[in-house]
Amino acid sequence: MRHGDSDSHQNKMSRIQRRLSMLIVIGIVCATTGCSLIRPVQVWDKGYLAKNSMKFDYDKLAMKNGEHIYTSKEAASGSSSVGGGGCGCN
Amino acid sequence: MFENGIFNMKSKVNVVPSNSAMSKIGGNSDIATALLGAALLLSGIESAHSQSIPSEASLNFKYLNYEEKQQGLKRITAKAPSLQLILPIAGEWLLDGALTSDDVSGASPRYHTAISGASKMSDYRKAADLSLTRYFENTSLSIGSSYSSEHDYDSLALSITAAFSTPDKNRTWSFGVGASSDTINPTNKIVRDEHKKSKNILLGVSQILTPVDLVQFTVTHGRGEGYFSDPYKLLDERPRHRNQSSVFARWNHHLPESGATARVAYRYYRDSFSIKAHTFQAELEKELVDGWSITPLLRVYSQSAAGFYFDPVYDSQFGEPFPRGYQFGVKQFSSADQRLSGFGALTLGVSISKKMQNQWAIDFRLERYEQRTQWRLFHRGSTGLLPLSATIMQIGLSKQW
Repeated sequence: MRHGDSDSHQNKMSRIQRRLSMLIVIGIVCATTGCSLIRPVQVWDKGYLAKNSMKFDYDKLAMKNGEHIYTSKEAASGSSSVGGGGCGCN
Repeated sequence: MFENGIFNMKSKVNVVPSNSAMSKIGGNSDIATALLGAALLLSGIESAHSQSIPSEASLNFKYLNYEEKQQGLKRITAKAPSLQLILPIAGEWLLDGALTSDDVSGASPRYHTAISGASKMSDYRKAADLSLTRYFENTSLSIGSSYSSEHDYDSLALSITAAFSTPDKNRTWSFGVGASSDTINPTNKIVRDEHKKSKNILLGVSQILTPVDLVQFTVTHGRGEGYFSDPYKLLDERPRHRNQSSVFARWNHHLPESGATARVAYRYYRDSFSIKAHTFQAELEKELVDGWSITPLLRVYSQSAAGFYFDPVYDSQFGEPFPRGYQFGVKQFSSADQRLSGFGALTLGVSISKKMQNQWAIDFRLERYEQRTQWRLFHRGSTGLLPLSATIMQIGLSKQW
């Protein structure tokens, strides 16, 4: 292995280690404080949550049209689903 | 109240009384909310969560009109009607199918935003999506497929998604895998029977935070290999591998006092082309009288350029579209595609909808999209491109039963 490759490998490893440490810290914080701060919402308190406007997929066709347009005009794609096909978009 | 372990929704729309009705209940919002909750419990309303199967079927039609302009000249125009059927079956299954046809025509630049010599095109795309979901007590399993066909491009994709809810249905974990296979046969025959295959995975969690707050956090990763170049652009030679990752978060918040719902979303994206992108989206749906509602919306987007994208600075010897220092016969990755440059984009829009009698509804959505190189928020580079603007209009009609 060349010297440059070794440096690059070490940098990559230290990046991975930093991210893993961050994830572990977030996990510990979440487990000990954050998640336990969420008080369970009872079924009789879910009236507003049942409204159409509160659903994530409230208008699937409009969302799909939007995604198709943005995928054909921008480089980024994907967000909350898997298995989307491509297109020869101009 | 329970049907096969799943909350059964008897009436999904208008389950919450309007502001005036709430005030009539007694003027005290706590009492009103408690009464409302009790009423919902007694009437068998479903949990608002993704693990609940809707008890109502719906047929939705949408017509999309898209018109794009660059420096006052028309570029691409698209007209796309689509039809979607959502059908619950036997209280345990959900069928969701959609058909779309897309009539696209206009001119697309062969490099950067050059207007002269733009390639004229006309295409007709047919697409179909179908998913089938089986609901269990606290679990759902969904199988989906999508197919899209153009005269020079075919795509087939499959996916499996599993969702697991806590018994109180306040939290749902989602796991998904997907794969797609595309075949490319451009009319200029620069390549033949080229393929692009991709696999992707998803991990997501939805959480009800309060009676008016719902959040979702999703991570996706995809690996693709094959033909990623644009056969209609000059000097477009892209790597045959593309890995894409995204982190997506969204938050829906209901404001009972004003009868409005705020929906906010953010996505961070990066890929192996060295593109990084930020997307922020916000909508505020406000209920009006007589079933009307209005939703102003905003989307802000910014991306960095692909590592092999070159700015419109051309070689002094060969001229356009050759990049400075271009060497013939030396294979190198390059692209002058505006979509791979660094830019920012802004969308402003409004949607108006009306719920009518017998569970019919209509909606109209108008958006203006503007793309500018100087609007990129966090990234450098990419100058000298013309702005791009588009008007997006959608008209919808839906029926539930």
